[in-house]
Amino acid sequence: MSQIPVIMPQLGESIAEATVVNILVPEGGQVEAGQDVLEVETSKATMTVAAPCKGVIGKWLVQANESYPVGEVLGFIEARAEDVARAGLEKVAEPESPANEQQAQQPQQAPAPQTPPSSSLPQTGAAAAAAAAPKRGTVEPRVRGLPVPAHAATVSYMSPRLKARINELGLHAADLAGIAGSGAGGRVTIEDFERYIANLEKQKLTQASPMRVAVADAMRRSWSRPLATVGLAATLDAVLEHRKKLLLRPGPALYALRALAIALSENSAIAGRLIGNKIVHPSSIDIGFAVEAEAGVLVPVIRNADKRPLLEIADLYSRLVEQARQRTLPAEATGHCVATVTNYGTFGLIWATPIPLPEQTLVLGLGAGRKAPLWDDARGQFVPVTEAQLTLSFDHRVLDGGAAGRFLKRIVQLLNEPEKL
Amino acid sequence: MDSQTKQQYIRAYRYMLLARVLDEKMASLYRSGKIHGGVFLGRGQEALSVSVGLSLRKGDIFAPLIRDQAGRLAFGEPVLDAVRTWMGSVLGPMRGRDGNVHRGRPSEGLYAMISHLGAMISVVNGALMARRMKGQTDVVGATCIGDGGTSTGAFHEGLNQAAIEKLPLVLVVADNQYAYSTPNTKQYACANLVDRAPGYGVAGWTVDGTDLSACLKVVGEAVSKARAGGGPQLVVASLLRLCGHGEHDDAGYVDPKLKESPLGRDCLKVAEEHLRKTGWAGEVELERWRAEATQEVERAVAQVQREPGPDPFQEDWTALATRHLLDTYIQNNKE
Amino acid sequence: MSITYLEAIREAQARALAEDPRVFIYGQDVGNFGGAFKATKNLAQRFPGRVLDAPISEDAILGSAVGAAIEGMRPIIEIQFADFSTVAFNQIINQAATLFWRTQIPCPIVVRLPGGGTSGAGPFHSQSYEAVYAHFPGLVVMTPATVEDAYSMLLEAVAIDDPVIFCEHKFLYYHLKAEALPETALPAGKARIARPGRDLTLVAYSAMVHEALAVAEELSGEGFEIEVVDLRTVKPMDTDTIVASVARTGRLLAVGESWPWGGVTAEVVARVADEGFNLLDAPPQRLNAKDTPVPFHPNLWAAHRPTARTIADAARKLLRT
Repeated sequence: MSQIPVIMPQLGESIAEATVVNILVPEGGQVEAGQDVLEVETSKATMTVAAPCKGVIGKWLVQANESYPVGEVLGFIEARAEDVARAGLEKVAEPESPANEQQAQQPQQAPAPQTPPSSSLPQTGAAAAAAAAPKRGTVEPRVRGLPVPAHAATVSYMSPRLKARINELGLHAADLAGIAGSGAGGRVTIEDFERYIANLEKQKLTQASPMRVAVADAMRRSWSRPLATVGLAATLDAVLEHRKKLLLRPGPALYALRALAIALSENSAIAGRLIGNKIVHPSSIDIGFAVEAEAGVLVPVIRNADKRPLLEIADLYSRLVEQARQRTLPAEATGHCVATVTNYGTFGLIWATPIPLPEQTLVLGLGAGRKAPLWDDARGQFVPVTEAQLTLSFDHRVLDGGAAGRFLKRIVQLLNEPEKL
Repeated sequence: MDSQTKQQYIRAYRYMLLARVLDEKMASLYRSGKIHGGVFLGRGQEALSVSVGLSLRKGDIFAPLIRDQAGRLAFGEPVLDAVRTWMGSVLGPMRGRDGNVHRGRPSEGLYAMISHLGAMISVVNGALMARRMKGQTDVVGATCIGDGGTSTGAFHEGLNQAAIEKLPLVLVVADNQYAYSTPNTKQYACANLVDRAPGYGVAGWTVDGTDLSACLKVVGEAVSKARAGGGPQLVVASLLRLCGHGEHDDAGYVDPKLKESPLGRDCLKVAEEHLRKTGWAGEVELERWRAEATQEVERAVAQVQREPGPDPFQEDWTALATRHLLDTYIQNNKE
Repeated sequence: MSITYLEAIREAQARALAEDPRVFIYGQDVGNFGGAFKATKNLAQRFPGRVLDAPISEDAILGSAVGAAIEGMRPIIEIQFADFSTVAFNQIINQAATLFWRTQIPCPIVVRLPGGGTSGAGPFHSQSYEAVYAHFPGLVVMTPATVEDAYSMLLEAVAIDDPVIFCEHKFLYYHLKAEALPETALPAGKARIARPGRDLTLVAYSAMVHEALAVAEELSGEGFEIEVVDLRTVKPMDTDTIVASVARTGRLLAVGESWPWGGVTAEVVARVADEGFNLLDAPPQRLNAKDTPVPFHPNLWAAHRPTARTIADAARKLLRT
C-alpha cells in the first residue's frame, strides 16, 4: 500500500491559499480517482479538491475553517500499487514491510497479508515540513515548478535596456503592443524594438498634435484599470417635451448631466476613487461634459452640479459648449471633475462604451434618440417612443455590475421627471 | 669599566622608570575613559626590555612586542610617538590607523607589530637577509615575545628559518608565566623554553628577568654573539607579569605563591635597591628622576590632548602605494 | 622559435634579476633545482646568491619577504602551489597588505601562485585564489591568460611598489605557446578585448579565456558574435572596459574557474548591474565551478569546472532570453 498525498492544487492565477470548508470524505472512506474529497473556498469562489487516485482516505492533516497554501499536503490516500500506477503517480512513501518485499520477490505466491494502516504514517519530506511549518501568518506560495516571481522569460518582461530606450524616445509600454517579440516567452527584445522603429520610419508619418498625445496618454492611463460597461434604454419623450418649453433648448446631455449629479449626491461612493484599500469620496459633485473641439475633445466642468437646477445652469451650459469649441474655456470651468457625460449620439451613434478619464471612476454616455416601439401593457400594444441608449462605463475595482446597474436605473428614473431636474 | 657599568645601569634604570611612569599614566587615562581600545602594560618586564633596547645600536633592527615600552624608549622611540599612538592623535606615526602598541617607524629600524604573535620574527629575518644581501654584516635584529607566543607556528617557522640562514637574530622570550590567563603548564611541556634552542640549532640563554644587572649582561652578550656571526640567540628570561594581560583584566588567576616568590619581584624596585646599595643613587636622585619622568610624561600628555584625532573626511581611504592601480569603481563608490 | 607560458615567466624573472639588484627570488626548490615547475631553471646559476631555497615554511617565507621589502629589496616569492599559500595567509593579508596603510612604508613584493586545475591534481593542488586575495585591501591581484601577459605583467608586478599576488595557471604552463615575447603591453589594470563581438559579452580571466575563445569560435558558426573580455588583472578590475562591452552587446556572462560564492564573477556582475543596468537586455549571468572542493578523478574534474561546452550552453541560453 502506498501513501499518496492529497495536495492543495493551484486554484487560479494568483491564488496563494484556500480555506477548507468541508471534508467530504472522512478518514477511512473509500474514494475513486477524481472524486471530490474536500470543499475549499478561495477569495473568488468555492471549489473542490479531488482524490488523485483510487483508495481509502488514510489521514486528513487539515481542519475545517483553516487556511492552507497551494502545494501543501492536505492528507493521504492509501492506495494499492496498481491504482497508483493507473493514476500515473510516483509512489511517495512506501512503509517498509516484509510483506511487500515478499510480494516483489515471489510473485507466484499468494499475496501476503496486508499490513494494517497505522496511524503514524511515514511522512514525506514535504508533509513533515508542512507539519512543522507554522500555518498562521503570511503564506508563501509554494507552487511546484513555478518560480515566483516570474523570470525574465515572459511576454510582458521589458529589460532595463528596453525600458531605458523607450524612455529615451518618450514612448510607453502600450506602444509595444503591436511589436512581435522574438525573445524568450515572446518578449520584445531591444533588437525587435529597434527594427520596429526603423520600419516605422519607412512608412507615411504624420505629426500627432499635442492634444492627441495628451488624450492618448490619458486613455492609456485610464485603461490600466479594469473597465466595464452597463447599458440601459431611456425614453426621452418627457425630456423632449420639457425642452420644447424652454427658450434656450439645451441638449439632452444637460438633462443627463443633472440626473447624474443628483444620483451621485444620493450616493457619492459610486464616484469614489479606490486608493489602496480606501475609497476616497468626492468632496463636491463637479460634473464634466465632453465637447468635440478641433483636433480633440475638451471637458468643461459644471461645479456643484447637484445643487444647481437645470434651468439655472442652462445658460452656463450653452456658453461653455461654445467656449469649448473656440477653446476659450475659463480656468474655473476646466480641471478636476468627479464624473463626465458624453453625448456620442451627436455622431449618430446609438451605442458606445466610452472610457472614463484616468482620475474618474465613471463616465455616462448618451446615444442618439430614435423612434422605437415600446410595449404598453395597459393598452396591450406597442407604442412609439423616442428611445436612447444610456451606457455607464466604470472602474470595476470600485463598482460591481449590480451597483452600476442600479445607479443607471436611478438616472433613467430621474430622466422620466425632467421638471424635477 | 665600573663607570661604564654604572652609567649604563643608571641609563637603563631611568628608561625603566620612564617606561613605568608612562605605562601608569596610560593606565590612569584608560580608567578615566580617555583611551580607545585596550591598554597593555610592561609592568615587571622593564629590566629585560630595556636591556634589549640598550644593547642594540643605531642601524640595528628592533621588533618589540606589547610589553616593551622600556626597550622602545631605549632604542630611541620618542615619548610623543607613544603617547600620540595611545591617545589617537593624527600626528602620531600610525595616524590613527592603528593604535596602542601597534606602532613603529620601520625606516628607522623600529618595526610596527601586527597582533599575530610570532609573525614579526620572520619579518626581522627577512630584514636581516636583505642587509646581508646588501653587504651589511654589522647588524643585529632583535624581537621580543612571550611564553604564549612561542606556541605559534609562526614562532617555529621564524626561529627555524633564522637558524637555517644563520641570521644575527636575537629572540628574547619574556617568560612571565602567563599568556593572558593561560599558565605555562598549558603552554609548553618542556622544562624550560630554552630547551628548544638546541632543537633549532641555535644558542640559548637564560636570565633572571627581575635583575637588571643580569639582563644587561646576558642580553648584551647575546647581541654581541649574534653580531659576531654566532647565528640566532634564544634568550629566555624568567619573571612574572605584574599586571593584567590588558588593563581590562584584573589577573585574578595569577598564582599568589608566584607573586610572593623571588620570581615575583618588581624589577624596578630591585634596580632601585641595587642603586641604593651600590651608592650609585640615593633617595634624592631617585625622587628627582621620578619627578623628571613624570614631568616628561605629563608634558607629552598635555600636548597630545590638544591634538586632533584623524578626520574621516580628510582620510585617504586607500591602501595602495601605487595610485594608478586603485580600483576606480571602488574609489567612485567610497560612500 | 616558440615560447611557453612558463618560459615567459622564467624570462621575466631573469630580466628582473638582471635589471634590478634589489630583486631576489625566494621559495621552495627554486635554487639549483630550478623550481617544481622549472620556473627558475638556471636562474640560481646565472644570478648567484639571488635565488634562495626556503624551508617548507610559507608563513616565514612571506614574513621574511615583508622584512626584506621594508629594507628596500624587491623579493619575488614562489609558493609551490597556490593551495599552500593558505599557510602564509596571515602574513599576506595582515602583514604585507597592511604595511603601507599602517606605516607608509611600501611593500613591493610579488607572490607567484601556481594555481588552477589540471587533471588528477586533486583538491589541494588545483585551487584558484584570486577572489580570496582580491577581497583584502592593499593587494594587487593579477591573472595573466596569455604567454605575452605572463611575461609583461610579471615584469610590471616586480616594478609595482605594492604586494602583487600573481596568479599563474598551471594548465597553461606547458600548453600555451607564443611566437615571441612582447615588446609592448597593456598596462596592468586594463582588460583586453580578446575577441570583438556584438551579441554577448563573455568576461573571463586566466585559463577560462581560452575556453571563452573556443566558445566564441563555435557560436560564430551559429551566427552569434561573442565578445570575449580578458580581465588580466582582477584587482583593480577594469570596469569601464566591461561596461563598454555590455553597452555594445546588452548581455553579460562572466566565467570563472573558482567557486560561485563571492567569486570574481560575482564582482563583475555586481559592477555591471550597478553601472550598466540600463544596458542589459537580459539578467547578467555567471558560470563558476561547482561548489565543492576540486575533485581528483578526471571524470569529476572535467565536470567540476566550466568548459567550452558548458559555457557555450550558458551563452546560448542567455542569447535566447
